[in-house]
Amino acid sequence: MAACDGFGVRMDVMTRLVLLGATGLMLAMAGCATPPPATDPDAVADFKQTNDPLEPTNRVFYAVNNGIDAVLLKPLALAYTYVVPPFAQTGVHNALSNLNSPVLLANDMMQGKPRRAGDTLARFVINSTVGVAGLFDVATGWGYPFHTSNFGETLALWGVPEGPYLFLPILGPGNPRDSSGYGVDVALDPLSWVTGTAITDANYARYGLTLVDVRASLFDSLDKATAQALDPYATVRSLYRQHREAEIAAAKADNRATTPGWYPSQPAK
Amino acid sequence: MHMLTRRSLLTASLATVAAIGLGALPRMARAQTPAQASAFVEQAGKDLIAVVNGPGSAADKQAKLKQIVDQVVDVDAVGRFCLGRFWRTATPAEQQQYLQLFHQVLQKNVAGKLGDYQGVTFVVGRATPRDGGTVGVATVVTRPNVAPANVEWVVSSSSGSPRIVDVVAEGTSLRLTQRSDYASFLAHNNDSVQALMDAMRKQLSQPG
Repeated sequence: MAACDGFGVRMDVMTRLVLLGATGLMLAMAGCATPPPATDPDAVADFKQTNDPLEPTNRVFYAVNNGIDAVLLKPLALAYTYVVPPFAQTGVHNALSNLNSPVLLANDMMQGKPRRAGDTLARFVINSTVGVAGLFDVATGWGYPFHTSNFGETLALWGVPEGPYLFLPILGPGNPRDSSGYGVDVALDPLSWVTGTAITDANYARYGLTLVDVRASLFDSLDKATAQALDPYATVRSLYRQHREAEIAAAKADNRATTPGWYPSQPAK
Repeated sequence: MHMLTRRSLLTASLATVAAIGLGALPRMARAQTPAQASAFVEQAGKDLIAVVNGPGSAADKQAKLKQIVDQVVDVDAVGRFCLGRFWRTATPAEQQQYLQLFHQVLQKNVAGKLGDYQGVTFVVGRATPRDGGTVGVATVVTRPNVAPANVEWVVSSSSGSPRIVDVVAEGTSLRLTQRSDYASFLAHNNDSVQALMDAMRKQLSQPG
């Protein structure tokens, strides 16, 4: 769960919008990858499969992101894991995840997955109460495990293709479907509807903490994978796509019956 | 002494490659039941844990881990897969050198993760037949202070005995990821397998 769910990193809404605008501008100005000559069918097939026509631009942002990471995010996350004891880190992670439940629920419902929506609702109710404001994940032990859900995934289930690979600053790897889906998820979040200085500050803190939490969860998986790669950019691209495909496949395959166990003539699956 | 064992293992595996006829994947995948694949993964996991949590210095353990990798992983098959279309265009000498380097890189990567495996436990779940006569064995791997991870082990018996050909962690395939890494490197280095091997040698010369 924590292994890779941090690819879509969050941050404050305004900064993100500004960055997205700047990104669009730079994308328009920057060059595209040159396709290989048609005389080399193997190379052409590779190029199509890689599906990264904006690779030169993406690589620039990948480098920019690594720079931001090296001077800001990574040191913060390192300090966080050094200072905060593991049980407290888990608590923070659980609480942040619990706060995201409304977005999950909305997407579960839009995907037409009633049992997933039920899981999310049960998790939110149980963890917010018995789990002391979401600090403890009691629901997993009670048979309501965590699953991911976001608008990019919803669009995929509606049949929207991913489109070419995109690497955006802060947001990281993505594609037109998932990256714009992220914007919808922010808009779906009830906590982003409330205004007032205290709430806004709390939201800033939450986004900041999410960023650190996600970054810390990646020390173990992503950092090691890229350290061992000859081309870290391509490795991240491959990992991101595979991870997304697996998440989408899991959502698609989850067709549990909505009838209770005692109901007669329940289909096997 | 372990050097000797390793060397003989390496020679043996290279001899196997030569016997197969360099490159032609043996497609006579022998019948393999999901139960056999499960038992194999269970045993391989137990061996690994016994080394990691057992006695001995870190260097001893790393040497043993390298041996286990050679015993339970069909390294040649994985290596060929990772080179993709360039395997066909490489010369026999390049293929042999590449596989040798691939062995070493894989061993180094696994041995380098010794610290991460500390206190690891795993539970074997369902085994499902997959493409090409392989079997996917689902496991849940748990490490201290890390959320449990779903890891699938793809087992093939095309080499005669069950061997691991892929590890799929939370939906991401290790060999697919490795292949895209190599493919991208080759694409940016004039499709030169020599350049790839130079980069692999550089990786091996780095500490850790």
